[in-house]
Amino acid sequence: MSPSVEYYCPCQASTPHPPQPNLASSSYSFHALHNLYFCEECDAIRCNHCVMVEVSGYYCPNCLFEVPSASVRAEKNRCARNCFMCPSCKNTLSVVPSDPPDNGDGRIPPTINAAGEPPFFLYCNHCRWDSAEVGITFEKPTGLAAQLQKFEDSAPESLEFERLKEHFEPYLPAASSALARDIPGVARYTPHALSRSRSGRDKNANRQEVPDYRARVEIGAVTTGYALGGGADPDVEFMRHLETVEEVSTLEQRWGNSWVTSPRSLDLKPLRIPLHSKKSKRCPSCRHILIKPEQKAQSVRYKIKLVAANYLPAITINLPHMQAALAMLRRSGRANAEPQDGTMLAGKTYPFHLSFTNPLYDPIQVRLHVQRALPPPHPNAPPEAEKTRRPPFAIMLPTQAFPIAAFAEAWEYDDDEDMFGVEEEDEDFDGARDPRGRSRTVGVLERRANVTVIGGEVMISKESRGDIKFNMLVSYTYRSDDPEPEEPGTPSRLQAQPKQPEMKTFSFYTVVDLGTIIVRDTSSVDMDS
Amino acid sequence: MKGDITIGAGTIVHPKATIFAATGPIVIGSNCIIEEGAIILNRRKEVLRIGDENLFEIGCRVECPMGNCNTICTRARIHYTTRLSSYCVIGAGCLVVATEEEILDEYTVIYGPEGERRIWSGRGRLQEADLRRKHAEYLREMLPKFNRLRRGEGA
Repeated sequence: MSPSVEYYCPCQASTPHPPQPNLASSSYSFHALHNLYFCEECDAIRCNHCVMVEVSGYYCPNCLFEVPSASVRAEKNRCARNCFMCPSCKNTLSVVPSDPPDNGDGRIPPTINAAGEPPFFLYCNHCRWDSAEVGITFEKPTGLAAQLQKFEDSAPESLEFERLKEHFEPYLPAASSALARDIPGVARYTPHALSRSRSGRDKNANRQEVPDYRARVEIGAVTTGYALGGGADPDVEFMRHLETVEEVSTLEQRWGNSWVTSPRSLDLKPLRIPLHSKKSKRCPSCRHILIKPEQKAQSVRYKIKLVAANYLPAITINLPHMQAALAMLRRSGRANAEPQDGTMLAGKTYPFHLSFTNPLYDPIQVRLHVQRALPPPHPNAPPEAEKTRRPPFAIMLPTQAFPIAAFAEAWEYDDDEDMFGVEEEDEDFDGARDPRGRSRTVGVLERRANVTVIGGEVMISKESRGDIKFNMLVSYTYRSDDPEPEEPGTPSRLQAQPKQPEMKTFSFYTVVDLGTIIVRDTSSVDMDS
Repeated sequence: MKGDITIGAGTIVHPKATIFAATGPIVIGSNCIIEEGAIILNRRKEVLRIGDENLFEIGCRVECPMGNCNTICTRARIHYTTRLSSYCVIGAGCLVVATEEEILDEYTVIYGPEGERRIWSGRGRLQEADLRRKHAEYLREMLPKFNRLRRGEGA
């Protein structure tokens, strides 16, 4: 695994400080930068766990037709136009006419009717599955979805489900109002619950008196039309007579089906393509919209897009010694040799580079602070051993603040020197100019455009094991556009200097993963091989 | 193009295709289409015989003999240990390496990242043949317009 930097979202913790990164549970709090959002109102990072998601529209991924939400339910969440999915390879099926009758001599007839001849069937261009194999053909090439849906709806399970819904219909408002009362927050999603809660409470009294539902179909009954798939004897019998694995359809092929289907791959039916939805996301505390896609299915733009990448400096990390090793491997022609990603031996010191990219239009000052990491306590270690525990590695980073220039559009750079520098330096910078750089490994190594490269060092102690992961607090000071008063409640927002009210500081935690420590004795074996 | 190669009537070879009879001759039938960047290579002593109306899509690499009406999709690769019969389809990016001599049945379809196999029912075969004929006709018309040939080379 290559070294990575992930950002912390404090939504799951009660304290503003992140959990120790070597705990397994901490991975839920750290996210890659591109998965995070930023709420301008609360001035806070939001992640996918804490935002509120709302569906803003449904569409078919194949024909890009926007389906009104009223018909989504009627059409059972699948496309009602001519979009079908190949049951064997998930590709899109196309409607094709049958071949003209073969006149026996194997020659192609001179003209083929452009309109095609019935019966029509569905055909997969990728794996050449066709629906005539399972006996589905059509007289007309239009309105196929309706015909297929009729087929789906007549499945015994579907009928049973409809009857169940009908049976429980009168009790549904009661149950949902009870839910809304007992669990705060549910009421928001069911707007009618409150208006109905009166009648619901009346019915709560006789909630126990739901009459027993009598199923029309017994589970596993062979009379359901599907002799297979119920998990009963016919299935066992079928499995016993298998000759090749291909006769059984894979889980993936059957997963998208609404109802139990036969396990035989010969019986797979074409499926209407499931609809996708566009979602908008809201900040959980101030309810402002963070993400709002455009309504049109064809459009990939957003009306509102408050992603963290536009607010926080992007941090990328690289290990110079690893790049040098890779380059050496490449030079020696052993490209097939497994590149040992981040081979870090215990008891050694390695430099690493963090490059910060400023997305803001103003220059910022960044200050780094490393949270001390402790090794995970051994489950069976005696309590006195806890005291002698030492951090398995030490991180050295520049402690004073360093500047990053403002982001500028590409055409604002007047001389092309800057532009060329960006591409080339990534490759030769690490190896050539800083080969053994003992003198300057910690500190600002390089500044160009809106990128600043910071050098750090990690000292790994002899007996350490596991991954080198540490939490790093990044705080940056920027010029704020709107001098609005501070809310005292938000801990992450601090006034930087009282005499300069337009400067603001925002801090966030990141976890830096440098890779796995390799213990010395095993590493020598690795080098030999 | 190198070595002892025989190409049948109506076969279209893109100027950037490679046909390389390294050790044995190559015989290609009629009405095949060999697209840009396709490689046909004979590594064996005996004749590599390719039948009629095969389609070699862009960037594929074929080292095996085959029958008629096969389709080798984009960037697919077939090793010399395999033989195709007729109406086979090798899907895009598939790599067919048989450890021992293998003859693919008629209508075999190999597709997907894991090289799944199935047998095609053959329905739609005539339409495909018709499409291929039109494809060849179109190429015959268009290719000379966009690829200037040097005179006197006798292509």
